[in-house]
Amino acid sequence: MNLLDIRNLSIELDTPSGRVLAVDRVSLSIKEGEVRGLVGESGSGKSLLAQAIIGVLEDKWHVHADRFHWRGIDLLRLSIDDRKALLCRDIAMIFQEPMSCLDPTTLIGEQLSEAIDTSQLSGYFWQRKKQRKEAVIKLLHKVGIKKHEQCINSYPHQLTEAICQRVMIAIALAGRPILLIADEPTAAMESTTQGQIFRLLANLNQLKNMSILLISHDLENLTHWTNTITVMYSGQFVEAGSTEQIFNKPMHPYTRALVDSSTKANLQLPTKSRLMTLPGSIPVLQHLPIGCRLGPRCPRAQQTCVAAPTVSNYHGHKVSCHFPLLRETGKKVKGSH
Amino acid sequence: MSVLLDVKDIAKSFKLKGHWYHKRKLNALSPLSFAIEAKKTLAIVGETGSGKSTLAKILVGAETPTTGKIYLNGQLLKNQHFKQRCQHIRMIFQDSGTTLNPSLTIQELLDEPLILNTVLNEKQRKNLIRTTLQKVGLLGDHMNFYPHMFSGGQKQRISLARAIILQPQVIILDEALAALDPSLRSQMINLLLDLQQQMGLAYILISHNLGIVRHFSDDVMIMSQGEVVESGKTIEVMRNPQHKVTQKLMMSQNFQIK
Repeated sequence: MNLLDIRNLSIELDTPSGRVLAVDRVSLSIKEGEVRGLVGESGSGKSLLAQAIIGVLEDKWHVHADRFHWRGIDLLRLSIDDRKALLCRDIAMIFQEPMSCLDPTTLIGEQLSEAIDTSQLSGYFWQRKKQRKEAVIKLLHKVGIKKHEQCINSYPHQLTEAICQRVMIAIALAGRPILLIADEPTAAMESTTQGQIFRLLANLNQLKNMSILLISHDLENLTHWTNTITVMYSGQFVEAGSTEQIFNKPMHPYTRALVDSSTKANLQLPTKSRLMTLPGSIPVLQHLPIGCRLGPRCPRAQQTCVAAPTVSNYHGHKVSCHFPLLRETGKKVKGSH
Repeated sequence: MSVLLDVKDIAKSFKLKGHWYHKRKLNALSPLSFAIEAKKTLAIVGETGSGKSTLAKILVGAETPTTGKIYLNGQLLKNQHFKQRCQHIRMIFQDSGTTLNPSLTIQELLDEPLILNTVLNEKQRKNLIRTTLQKVGLLGDHMNFYPHMFSGGQKQRISLARAIILQPQVIILDEALAALDPSLRSQMINLLLDLQQQMGLAYILISHNLGIVRHFSDDVMIMSQGEVVESGKTIEVMRNPQHKVTQKLMMSQNFQIK
Protein backbone atom coordinates (compact mmCIF):
# COMPACT_ATOMS: atom_id res chain seq x y z
CA MET A 1 0.00 0.00 0.00
CA ASN A 2 1.19 3.50 -0.66
CA LEU A 3 2.20 5.24 2.51
CA LEU A 4 2.12 8.69 1.05
CA ASP A 5 0.29 9.44 -2.18
CA ILE A 6 0.44 12.95 -3.57
CA ARG A 7 -1.02 13.80 -6.94
CA ASN A 8 -0.53 17.16 -8.67
CA LEU A 9 0.64 19.20 -5.72
CA SER A 10 1.16 22.88 -6.51
CA ILE A 11 2.68 25.52 -4.28
CA GLU A 12 2.13 29.19 -5.05
CA LEU A 13 3.84 32.22 -3.57
CA ASP A 14 2.31 35.68 -3.21
CA THR A 15 4.73 38.29 -4.50
CA PRO A 16 4.19 42.01 -5.18
CA SER A 17 4.00 41.20 -8.90
CA GLY A 18 1.35 38.52 -8.55
CA ARG A 19 1.33 34.86 -7.68
CA VAL A 20 4.28 32.73 -8.72
CA LEU A 21 3.90 29.01 -9.22
CA ALA A 22 6.92 27.71 -7.34
CA VAL A 23 6.05 24.02 -7.51
CA ASP A 24 3.96 23.00 -10.50
CA ARG A 25 1.84 19.84 -10.25
CA VAL A 26 4.30 17.41 -8.72
CA SER A 27 3.29 13.85 -7.91
CA LEU A 28 5.07 11.74 -5.34
CA SER A 29 4.27 8.40 -3.82
CA ILE A 30 6.15 6.49 -1.16
CA LYS A 31 5.59 2.82 -0.45
CA GLU A 32 6.04 1.24 2.94
CA GLY A 33 9.64 0.36 3.74
CA GLU A 34 11.01 2.18 0.73
CA VAL A 35 13.89 4.63 0.44
CA ARG A 36 12.91 7.23 -2.10
CA GLY A 37 15.35 9.83 -3.35
CA LEU A 38 14.17 13.28 -4.34
CA VAL A 39 16.75 14.91 -6.57
CA GLY A 40 16.82 18.46 -7.86
CA GLU A 41 19.24 21.31 -8.21
CA SER A 42 18.94 24.44 -6.09
CA GLY A 43 15.64 26.19 -6.66
CA SER A 44 13.88 23.07 -7.83
CA GLY A 45 11.41 23.20 -4.96
CA LYS A 46 12.41 19.94 -3.33
CA SER A 47 12.69 21.44 0.15
CA LEU A 48 9.39 23.29 -0.38
CA LEU A 49 7.74 19.99 -1.24
CA ALA A 50 9.10 18.39 1.93
CA GLN A 51 7.91 21.31 4.02
CA ALA A 52 4.49 21.17 2.39
CA ILE A 53 4.21 17.48 3.27
CA ILE A 54 4.76 18.08 6.97
CA GLY A 55 2.83 21.34 6.80
CA VAL A 56 5.31 23.85 8.13
CA LEU A 57 5.08 26.40 5.32
CA GLU A 58 4.26 29.98 6.16
CA ASP A 59 0.92 31.59 5.26
CA LYS A 60 2.29 33.30 2.18
CA TRP A 61 2.67 29.94 0.48
CA HIS A 62 -0.52 28.42 -0.94
CA VAL A 63 -0.64 24.67 -1.31
CA HIS A 64 -3.13 22.84 -3.54
CA ALA A 65 -3.29 19.18 -4.37
CA ASP A 66 -5.60 16.89 -6.29
CA ARG A 67 -4.87 14.10 -3.90
CA PHE A 68 -2.98 14.03 -0.64
CA HIS A 69 -3.34 10.70 1.08
CA TRP A 70 -1.43 9.42 4.08
CA ARG A 71 -1.96 5.67 4.64
CA GLY A 72 -5.34 5.88 2.97
CA ILE A 73 -6.53 8.90 4.96
CA ASP A 74 -7.38 11.95 2.90
CA LEU A 75 -5.46 14.73 4.60
CA LEU A 76 -7.19 17.47 2.63
CA ARG A 77 -10.50 16.65 4.32
CA LEU A 78 -9.10 16.80 7.84
CA SER A 79 -9.01 19.97 9.86
CA ILE A 80 -5.63 21.56 10.38
CA ASP A 81 -5.35 20.40 13.99
CA ASP A 82 -6.23 16.82 13.13
CA ARG A 83 -3.78 16.81 10.29
CA LYS A 84 -1.00 18.17 12.50
CA ALA A 85 -1.66 15.58 15.18
CA LEU A 86 -1.56 12.80 12.60
CA LEU A 87 1.56 13.96 10.85
CA CYS A 88 3.43 14.76 14.08
CA ARG A 89 2.92 11.19 15.17
CA ASP A 90 3.95 9.51 11.95
CA ILE A 91 6.43 11.74 10.12
CA ALA A 92 9.73 13.14 11.34
CA MET A 93 12.19 15.35 9.55
CA ILE A 94 15.91 16.02 9.81
CA PHE A 95 17.68 18.97 8.27
CA GLN A 96 21.05 19.89 6.88
CA GLU A 97 23.60 21.59 9.12
CA PRO A 98 22.67 19.75 12.32
CA MET A 99 24.81 22.11 14.42
CA SER A 100 22.52 25.03 13.67
CA CYS A 101 19.32 23.07 14.26
CA LEU A 102 20.17 22.01 17.81
CA ASP A 103 19.74 24.49 20.64
CA PRO A 104 23.25 25.71 21.48
CA THR A 105 22.37 26.61 25.07
CA THR A 106 20.82 23.32 26.12
CA LEU A 107 22.49 20.02 26.90
CA ILE A 108 22.00 17.23 24.37
CA GLY A 109 20.37 15.04 27.03
CA GLU A 110 17.69 17.64 27.79
CA GLN A 111 16.95 18.20 24.13
CA LEU A 112 16.53 14.49 23.62
CA SER A 113 14.32 13.96 26.66
CA GLU A 114 12.13 16.83 25.50
CA ALA A 115 11.39 14.91 22.34
CA ILE A 116 10.15 11.83 24.19
CA ASP A 117 6.40 11.85 24.53
CA THR A 118 4.97 11.13 28.00
CA SER A 119 2.55 8.61 26.54
CA GLN A 120 5.50 6.34 25.74
CA LEU A 121 6.43 6.08 29.41
CA SER A 122 4.68 3.66 31.69
CA GLY A 123 4.69 3.73 35.44
CA TYR A 124 4.02 6.27 38.15
CA PHE A 125 5.19 9.84 38.06
CA TRP A 126 8.12 9.23 40.40
CA GLN A 127 9.44 6.58 38.01
CA ARG A 128 9.14 8.82 34.98
CA LYS A 129 12.44 10.65 35.32
CA LYS A 130 14.44 7.47 35.42
CA GLN A 131 12.48 5.96 32.54
CA ARG A 132 12.99 9.05 30.49
CA LYS A 133 16.73 8.88 30.98
CA GLU A 134 16.74 5.23 30.03
CA ALA A 135 14.77 6.04 26.90
CA VAL A 136 17.30 8.74 25.98
CA ILE A 137 20.20 6.31 26.37
CA LYS A 138 18.34 3.72 24.29
CA LEU A 139 17.79 6.27 21.53
CA LEU A 140 21.47 7.17 21.49
CA HIS A 141 22.43 3.51 21.25
CA LYS A 142 20.01 3.12 18.34
CA VAL A 143 21.88 5.72 16.32
CA GLY A 144 25.25 4.21 17.15
CA ILE A 145 26.54 6.51 19.89
CA LYS A 146 28.21 4.32 22.46
CA LYS A 147 29.54 6.95 24.86
CA HIS A 148 26.05 8.00 25.92
CA GLU A 149 27.00 9.50 29.27
CA GLN A 150 29.51 11.87 27.66
CA CYS A 151 27.09 12.80 24.88
CA ILE A 152 24.18 13.56 27.20
CA ASN A 153 26.28 16.00 29.20
CA SER A 154 27.66 18.01 26.32
CA TYR A 155 26.49 20.99 24.32
CA PRO A 156 26.14 20.81 20.52
CA HIS A 157 29.35 22.78 19.90
CA GLN A 158 31.38 20.20 21.80
CA LEU A 159 30.41 17.43 19.39
CA THR A 160 31.45 16.78 15.82
CA GLU A 161 29.03 17.32 12.96
CA ALA A 162 28.47 13.62 12.39
CA ILE A 163 27.56 13.06 16.05
CA CYS A 164 25.23 16.08 15.92
CA GLN A 165 23.46 14.62 12.89
CA ARG A 166 23.13 11.33 14.76
CA VAL A 167 21.57 13.22 17.68
CA MET A 168 19.15 14.86 15.23
CA ILE A 169 18.21 11.44 13.89
CA ALA A 170 17.76 10.22 17.48
CA ILE A 171 15.39 13.12 18.17
CA ALA A 172 13.50 12.28 15.00
CA LEU A 173 13.28 8.63 16.06
CA ALA A 174 11.90 9.53 19.49
CA GLY A 175 8.37 9.69 18.11
CA ARG A 176 8.77 6.31 16.37
CA PRO A 177 7.95 7.72 12.95
CA ILE A 178 6.85 5.67 9.96
CA LEU A 179 8.35 8.09 7.48
CA LEU A 180 11.58 10.03 7.94
CA ILE A 181 12.18 13.00 5.67
CA ALA A 182 15.88 13.76 5.42
CA ASP A 183 16.50 17.13 3.78
CA GLU A 184 20.12 17.01 2.56
CA PRO A 185 21.31 15.28 5.75
CA THR A 186 24.93 15.16 4.62
CA ALA A 187 25.44 18.52 2.92
CA ALA A 188 28.86 20.00 3.68
CA MET A 189 30.10 16.85 5.37
CA GLU A 190 33.21 14.77 4.86
CA SER A 191 32.77 11.83 2.54
CA THR A 192 33.63 9.34 5.26
CA THR A 193 31.07 10.83 7.67
CA GLN A 194 28.54 11.04 4.82
CA GLY A 195 28.93 7.31 4.43
CA GLN A 196 28.32 6.76 8.15
CA ILE A 197 25.09 8.76 8.13
CA PHE A 198 23.79 7.06 4.98
CA ARG A 199 24.65 3.65 6.42
CA LEU A 200 22.80 4.50 9.63
CA LEU A 201 19.73 5.55 7.63
CA ALA A 202 19.92 2.37 5.55
CA ASN A 203 20.13 0.28 8.73
CA LEU A 204 17.10 2.00 10.21
CA ASN A 205 15.24 1.34 6.99
CA GLN A 206 16.16 -2.35 7.04
CA LEU A 207 15.68 -3.06 10.73
CA LYS A 208 12.68 -0.91 11.57
CA ASN A 209 11.04 -0.91 8.14
CA MET A 210 11.01 2.86 8.27
CA SER A 211 10.41 4.62 4.97
CA ILE A 212 12.82 7.40 4.13
CA LEU A 213 12.46 10.32 1.76
CA LEU A 214 16.03 11.32 1.00
CA ILE A 215 16.41 14.77 -0.50
CA SER A 216 19.63 15.73 -2.23
CA HIS A 217 20.94 17.90 -5.02
CA ASP A 218 23.43 15.33 -6.18
CA LEU A 219 22.21 12.32 -8.10
CA GLU A 220 25.48 10.40 -7.91
CA ASN A 221 25.63 10.46 -4.12
CA LEU A 222 22.16 9.02 -3.77
CA THR A 223 22.10 6.14 -6.18
CA HIS A 224 23.78 3.71 -3.84
CA TRP A 225 21.22 4.16 -1.08
CA THR A 226 17.81 4.51 -2.72
CA ASN A 227 15.25 2.12 -4.20
CA THR A 228 13.39 4.70 -6.25
CA ILE A 229 14.18 8.24 -7.32
CA THR A 230 12.06 11.24 -8.26
CA VAL A 231 13.78 14.02 -10.20
CA MET A 232 12.56 17.60 -10.15
CA TYR A 233 13.67 20.62 -12.11
CA SER A 234 12.73 24.20 -11.32
CA GLY A 235 9.51 23.19 -9.56
CA GLN A 236 8.34 20.72 -12.15
CA PHE A 237 8.18 16.96 -12.06
CA VAL A 238 10.75 15.47 -14.42
CA GLU A 239 11.06 11.75 -13.99
CA ALA A 240 10.41 9.00 -11.48
CA GLY A 241 11.32 5.36 -11.42
CA SER A 242 13.55 2.80 -9.79
CA THR A 243 17.17 3.77 -9.24
CA GLU A 244 18.34 1.48 -12.06
CA GLN A 245 15.85 2.95 -14.48
CA ILE A 246 16.80 6.51 -13.66
CA PHE A 247 20.54 5.96 -13.63
CA ASN A 248 20.96 3.47 -16.47
CA LYS A 249 18.11 4.35 -18.82
CA PRO A 250 17.12 7.95 -18.22
CA MET A 251 14.31 9.05 -20.49
CA HIS A 252 14.16 12.76 -19.81
CA PRO A 253 16.85 14.95 -21.42
CA TYR A 254 17.45 16.60 -18.04
CA THR A 255 18.08 13.35 -16.19
CA ARG A 256 20.23 12.22 -19.10
CA ALA A 257 22.32 15.39 -18.73
CA LEU A 258 22.57 14.89 -14.95
CA VAL A 259 23.83 11.35 -15.39
CA ASP A 260 26.18 12.34 -18.21
CA SER A 261 27.65 15.23 -16.26
CA SER A 262 28.37 13.04 -13.27
CA THR A 263 32.07 12.26 -13.15
CA LYS A 264 31.46 9.14 -11.16
CA ALA A 265 29.16 7.48 -13.66
CA ASN A 266 31.45 8.13 -16.59
CA LEU A 267 34.66 6.47 -15.51
CA GLN A 268 35.28 5.24 -19.06
CA LEU A 269 35.70 8.83 -20.24
CA PRO A 270 39.33 9.80 -20.80
CA THR A 271 40.59 12.22 -18.17
CA LYS A 272 40.38 15.90 -19.01
CA SER A 273 37.88 15.33 -21.81
CA ARG A 274 34.88 17.63 -22.01
CA LEU A 275 31.87 16.62 -19.98
CA MET A 276 28.35 16.63 -21.40
CA THR A 277 26.46 19.55 -19.98
CA LEU A 278 23.38 21.66 -20.48
CA PRO A 279 23.93 25.25 -21.58
CA GLY A 280 22.69 28.16 -19.49
CA SER A 281 21.78 28.28 -15.83
CA ILE A 282 18.83 27.45 -13.61
CA PRO A 283 16.00 30.00 -14.09
CA VAL A 284 15.12 32.21 -11.14
CA LEU A 285 11.63 32.19 -9.67
CA GLN A 286 10.71 35.60 -11.12
CA HIS A 287 11.52 34.65 -14.71
CA LEU A 288 10.30 31.12 -15.22
CA PRO A 289 9.88 29.94 -18.82
CA ILE A 290 6.35 28.87 -19.81
CA GLY A 291 5.51 25.28 -20.57
CA CYS A 292 8.32 22.87 -19.87
CA ARG A 293 10.73 24.87 -17.75
CA LEU A 294 13.73 23.05 -19.12
CA GLY A 295 12.79 24.32 -22.61
CA PRO A 296 15.47 27.01 -23.16
CA ARG A 297 18.25 24.68 -22.02
CA CYS A 298 16.98 21.46 -23.56
CA PRO A 299 18.80 19.98 -26.56
CA ARG A 300 15.63 18.26 -27.79
CA ALA A 301 13.23 21.19 -27.38
CA GLN A 302 10.77 21.87 -30.17
CA GLN A 303 7.82 24.16 -30.66
CA THR A 304 5.39 21.97 -28.71
CA CYS A 305 7.51 22.41 -25.56
CA VAL A 306 5.90 25.78 -24.82
CA ALA A 307 2.98 23.73 -23.48
CA ALA A 308 3.64 21.82 -20.28
CA PRO A 309 3.99 18.09 -21.00
CA THR A 310 1.82 15.48 -19.34
CA VAL A 311 3.22 12.55 -17.43
CA SER A 312 3.49 9.27 -19.30
CA ASN A 313 4.11 5.94 -17.66
CA TYR A 314 6.40 3.32 -19.18
CA HIS A 315 6.35 0.22 -16.94
CA GLY A 316 6.38 2.27 -13.76
CA HIS A 317 8.96 4.65 -15.17
CA LYS A 318 7.16 7.98 -15.23
CA VAL A 319 8.48 10.76 -17.37
CA SER A 320 7.16 14.21 -18.12
CA CYS A 321 8.46 15.17 -21.56
CA HIS A 322 7.11 15.62 -25.08
CA PHE A 323 10.09 13.89 -26.61
CA PRO A 324 11.41 11.28 -24.15
CA LEU A 325 14.53 9.36 -24.99
CA LEU A 326 13.26 5.91 -25.91
CA ARG A 327 16.09 3.70 -26.90
CA GLU A 328 14.25 0.40 -27.03
CA THR A 329 11.72 1.22 -29.70
CA GLY A 330 10.20 -2.26 -29.68
CA LYS A 331 9.06 -2.08 -26.07
CA LYS A 332 7.15 1.15 -26.35
CA VAL A 333 4.01 0.62 -24.32
CA LYS A 334 2.12 3.67 -23.34
CA GLY A 335 0.25 3.00 -20.13
CA SER A 336 -2.45 5.06 -18.54
CA HIS A 337 -1.73 7.29 -15.62
CA MET B 1 58.57 19.79 -19.66
CA SER B 2 60.11 22.15 -17.18
CA VAL B 3 58.91 22.33 -13.64
CA LEU B 4 56.72 25.35 -12.92
CA LEU B 5 56.20 25.25 -9.18
CA ASP B 6 58.66 23.40 -7.00
CA VAL B 7 57.91 22.99 -3.32
CA LYS B 8 60.69 21.71 -1.11
CA ASP B 9 60.26 20.42 2.43
CA ILE B 10 57.46 22.74 3.45
CA ALA B 11 56.43 22.32 7.08
CA LYS B 12 54.23 24.29 9.42
CA SER B 13 53.83 24.04 13.15
CA PHE B 14 51.75 26.17 15.43
CA LYS B 15 52.70 27.06 18.99
CA LEU B 16 49.99 26.22 21.44
CA LYS B 17 49.38 28.10 24.63
CA GLY B 18 51.22 26.64 27.51
CA HIS B 19 53.55 27.42 30.33
CA TRP B 20 56.75 28.96 29.05
CA TYR B 21 59.03 26.17 30.06
CA HIS B 22 56.34 23.71 29.05
CA LYS B 23 55.67 24.80 25.49
CA ARG B 24 53.70 22.57 23.18
CA LYS B 25 53.75 22.50 19.43
CA LEU B 26 51.15 21.33 16.94
CA ASN B 27 52.53 20.03 13.68
CA ALA B 28 49.95 21.07 11.10
CA LEU B 29 52.13 20.02 8.22
CA SER B 30 55.05 17.61 8.21
CA PRO B 31 57.79 18.33 5.65
CA LEU B 32 56.53 17.63 2.16
CA SER B 33 57.78 18.29 -1.35
CA PHE B 34 56.14 18.23 -4.73
CA ALA B 35 56.50 19.78 -8.18
CA ILE B 36 53.97 20.77 -10.84
CA GLU B 37 54.50 21.41 -14.53
CA ALA B 38 52.51 23.85 -16.63
CA LYS B 39 49.17 22.55 -17.97
CA LYS B 40 49.08 19.90 -15.26
CA THR B 41 46.76 19.50 -12.32
CA LEU B 42 47.69 18.26 -8.88
CA ALA B 43 44.83 17.12 -6.68
CA ILE B 44 45.11 17.17 -2.90
CA VAL B 45 42.68 14.87 -1.13
CA GLY B 46 42.20 14.49 2.58
CA GLU B 47 39.85 14.84 5.52
CA THR B 48 39.41 17.92 7.64
CA GLY B 49 42.47 18.63 9.71
CA SER B 50 44.71 16.84 7.26
CA GLY B 51 46.57 20.06 6.50
CA LYS B 52 45.43 20.59 2.92
CA SER B 53 44.05 24.07 3.56
CA THR B 54 47.18 25.01 5.51
CA LEU B 55 49.21 23.95 2.50
CA ALA B 56 47.06 26.11 0.21
CA LYS B 57 47.46 29.08 2.53
CA ILE B 58 51.22 28.67 2.57
CA LEU B 59 51.35 28.51 -1.22
CA VAL B 60 49.41 31.76 -1.69
CA GLY B 61 51.38 33.40 1.08
CA ALA B 62 48.64 33.85 3.66
CA GLU B 63 50.74 31.82 6.11
CA THR B 64 54.49 31.62 6.39
CA PRO B 65 55.96 28.13 6.48
CA THR B 66 58.09 27.16 9.48
CA THR B 67 60.68 25.56 7.22
CA GLY B 68 61.05 24.93 3.53
CA LYS B 69 61.22 26.83 0.27
CA ILE B 70 58.96 27.42 -2.71
CA TYR B 71 60.42 27.97 -6.18
CA LEU B 72 58.40 29.34 -9.09
CA ASN B 73 60.17 28.89 -12.44
CA GLY B 74 63.37 28.30 -10.53
CA GLN B 75 63.01 31.56 -8.61
CA LEU B 76 62.72 31.51 -4.84
CA LEU B 77 59.46 33.02 -3.53
CA LYS B 78 60.16 35.17 -0.50
CA ASN B 79 57.72 35.07 2.37
CA GLN B 80 56.80 38.71 2.64
CA HIS B 81 57.06 39.48 -1.05
CA PHE B 82 53.37 39.51 -1.90
CA LYS B 83 53.57 41.51 -5.11
CA GLN B 84 55.61 38.87 -6.85
CA ARG B 85 53.56 36.02 -5.50
CA CYS B 86 50.00 37.26 -5.94
CA GLN B 87 50.57 37.86 -9.63
CA HIS B 88 51.54 34.29 -10.28
CA ILE B 89 49.64 32.23 -7.72
CA ARG B 90 45.91 32.93 -7.33
CA MET B 91 43.22 31.19 -5.34
CA ILE B 92 39.49 30.45 -5.73
CA PHE B 93 37.47 29.67 -2.65
CA GLN B 94 34.60 27.33 -1.96
CA ASP B 95 31.79 29.77 -1.31
CA SER B 96 31.90 32.34 -4.07
CA GLY B 97 28.92 34.19 -2.64
CA THR B 98 30.77 35.36 0.45
CA THR B 99 34.12 36.11 -1.15
CA LEU B 100 32.78 38.88 -3.40
CA ASN B 101 32.31 42.29 -1.80
CA PRO B 102 28.56 43.00 -2.06
CA SER B 103 28.97 46.78 -2.14
CA LEU B 104 31.20 46.87 -5.23
CA THR B 105 30.23 46.32 -8.84
CA ILE B 106 31.98 43.58 -10.79
CA GLN B 107 34.09 46.19 -12.54
CA GLU B 108 35.32 47.63 -9.24
CA LEU B 109 35.95 44.13 -7.90
CA LEU B 110 38.09 43.15 -10.87
CA ASP B 111 39.75 46.57 -10.99
CA GLU B 112 41.34 46.16 -7.57
CA PRO B 113 44.00 43.58 -8.46
CA LEU B 114 44.80 45.53 -11.64
CA ILE B 115 45.32 48.84 -9.84
CA LEU B 116 47.50 47.20 -7.24
CA ASN B 117 49.60 45.05 -9.54
CA THR B 118 49.76 46.62 -12.99
CA VAL B 119 50.59 49.96 -14.58
CA LEU B 120 47.65 49.94 -17.02
CA ASN B 121 45.56 53.10 -17.47
CA GLU B 122 41.83 53.22 -16.94
CA LYS B 123 40.85 52.44 -20.51
CA GLN B 124 43.20 49.48 -20.79
CA ARG B 125 41.94 48.13 -17.47
CA LYS B 126 38.35 48.35 -18.65
CA ASN B 127 39.17 46.54 -21.86
CA LEU B 128 41.00 43.83 -19.96
CA ILE B 129 38.05 43.36 -17.61
CA ARG B 130 35.72 43.07 -20.59
CA THR B 131 37.82 40.42 -22.32
CA THR B 132 38.34 38.49 -19.09
CA LEU B 133 34.60 38.38 -18.41
CA GLN B 134 34.03 37.08 -21.93
CA LYS B 135 36.72 34.47 -21.40
CA VAL B 136 34.85 32.96 -18.45
CA GLY B 137 31.56 32.90 -20.35
CA LEU B 138 29.92 36.07 -19.09
CA LEU B 139 29.06 39.23 -21.02
CA GLY B 140 31.21 42.35 -20.99
CA ASP B 141 28.19 44.37 -19.86
CA HIS B 142 28.00 42.32 -16.69
CA MET B 143 30.74 44.53 -15.25
CA ASN B 144 28.20 47.11 -14.10
CA PHE B 145 26.22 44.56 -12.09
CA TYR B 146 26.48 43.88 -8.38
CA PRO B 147 27.29 40.39 -7.05
CA HIS B 148 23.76 39.78 -5.71
CA MET B 149 22.38 39.97 -9.26
CA PHE B 150 24.19 36.77 -10.25
CA SER B 151 23.38 33.14 -9.57
CA GLY B 152 25.77 30.85 -7.71
CA GLY B 153 27.39 29.46 -10.84
CA GLN B 154 27.92 32.91 -12.30
CA LYS B 155 29.48 34.14 -9.04
CA GLN B 156 31.95 31.29 -9.22
CA ARG B 157 32.80 32.42 -12.76
CA ILE B 158 33.45 35.93 -11.45
CA SER B 159 35.83 34.52 -8.83
CA LEU B 160 37.55 32.70 -11.66
CA ALA B 161 37.75 35.92 -13.67
CA ARG B 162 39.32 37.63 -10.65
CA ALA B 163 41.85 34.81 -10.45
CA ILE B 164 42.90 34.81 -14.12
CA ILE B 165 42.86 38.56 -14.75
CA LEU B 166 46.53 38.94 -13.79
CA GLN B 167 47.63 36.13 -16.14
CA PRO B 168 48.80 33.85 -13.33
CA GLN B 169 50.65 30.59 -13.73
CA VAL B 170 49.18 28.63 -10.84
CA ILE B 171 45.58 28.64 -9.60
CA ILE B 172 44.60 26.98 -6.35
CA LEU B 173 41.01 25.68 -6.27
CA ASP B 174 40.09 25.24 -2.62
CA GLU B 175 36.92 23.11 -2.86
CA ALA B 176 35.84 25.50 -5.60
CA LEU B 177 33.57 22.96 -7.22
CA ALA B 178 31.95 21.50 -4.12
CA ALA B 179 29.14 23.99 -3.58
CA LEU B 180 27.92 24.08 -7.19
CA ASP B 181 24.93 22.25 -8.62
CA PRO B 182 25.85 19.23 -10.80
CA SER B 183 24.95 20.74 -14.17
CA LEU B 184 26.81 23.96 -13.37
CA ARG B 185 29.71 21.99 -11.96
CA SER B 186 30.31 20.22 -15.26
CA GLN B 187 30.12 23.57 -17.08
CA MET B 188 32.74 24.91 -14.69
CA ILE B 189 34.99 21.86 -15.16
CA ASN B 190 34.81 22.30 -18.94
CA LEU B 191 35.65 25.98 -18.60
CA LEU B 192 38.60 25.30 -16.30
CA LEU B 193 39.97 22.66 -18.66
CA ASP B 194 39.66 25.02 -21.65
CA LEU B 195 41.45 27.81 -19.80
CA GLN B 196 44.18 25.42 -18.76
CA GLN B 197 44.88 24.63 -22.41
CA GLN B 198 44.63 28.25 -23.56
CA MET B 199 46.68 29.90 -20.84
CA GLY B 200 48.98 27.07 -19.81
CA LEU B 201 47.79 27.16 -16.21
CA ALA B 202 48.73 24.71 -13.51
CA TYR B 203 45.94 23.88 -11.07
CA ILE B 204 46.12 22.68 -7.52
CA LEU B 205 42.73 21.14 -6.82
CA ILE B 206 41.67 20.58 -3.24
CA SER B 207 38.64 18.35 -3.23
CA HIS B 208 37.10 15.32 -1.63
CA ASN B 209 34.98 14.27 -4.59
CA LEU B 210 37.00 11.45 -6.09
CA GLY B 211 34.99 11.49 -9.33
CA ILE B 212 36.12 15.04 -10.03
CA VAL B 213 39.66 14.26 -8.94
CA ARG B 214 39.78 11.32 -11.36
CA HIS B 215 38.48 13.36 -14.24
CA PHE B 216 40.36 16.56 -13.62
CA SER B 217 43.81 15.81 -12.28
CA ASP B 218 47.04 14.27 -13.51
CA ASP B 219 48.65 13.66 -10.16
CA VAL B 220 47.14 13.14 -6.76
CA MET B 221 48.41 13.57 -3.23
CA ILE B 222 46.49 12.03 -0.36
CA MET B 223 47.03 13.65 3.01
CA SER B 224 46.18 12.61 6.52
CA GLN B 225 47.06 14.48 9.71
CA GLY B 226 49.59 16.73 8.03
CA GLU B 227 51.42 13.99 6.22
CA VAL B 228 51.36 12.82 2.64
CA VAL B 229 50.39 9.17 2.86
CA GLU B 230 50.24 8.40 -0.84
CA SER B 231 51.05 10.23 -4.04
CA GLY B 232 51.50 9.50 -7.71
CA LYS B 233 49.62 9.48 -10.99
CA THR B 234 45.88 9.70 -10.30
CA ILE B 235 44.93 6.65 -12.32
CA GLU B 236 47.60 4.46 -10.79
CA VAL B 237 46.81 5.50 -7.23
CA MET B 238 43.11 4.93 -7.74
CA ARG B 239 43.55 1.60 -9.47
CA ASN B 240 45.69 0.25 -6.75
CA PRO B 241 45.35 2.18 -3.49
CA GLN B 242 48.07 1.17 -1.08
CA HIS B 243 47.50 3.14 2.11
CA LYS B 244 44.62 2.53 4.50
CA VAL B 245 43.46 6.16 4.33
CA THR B 246 43.15 6.01 0.54
CA GLN B 247 41.29 2.74 0.68
CA LYS B 248 38.91 4.13 3.29
CA LEU B 249 38.23 7.23 1.20
CA MET B 250 37.50 5.18 -1.89
CA MET B 251 35.30 2.78 0.06
CA SER B 252 33.28 5.62 1.54
CA GLN B 253 32.44 6.95 -1.91
CA ASN B 254 31.82 3.50 -3.43
CA PHE B 255 34.50 4.32 -5.91
CA GLN B 256 36.27 1.71 -7.96
CA ILE B 257 38.32 1.84 -11.12
CA LYS B 258 39.14 -1.28 -13.05
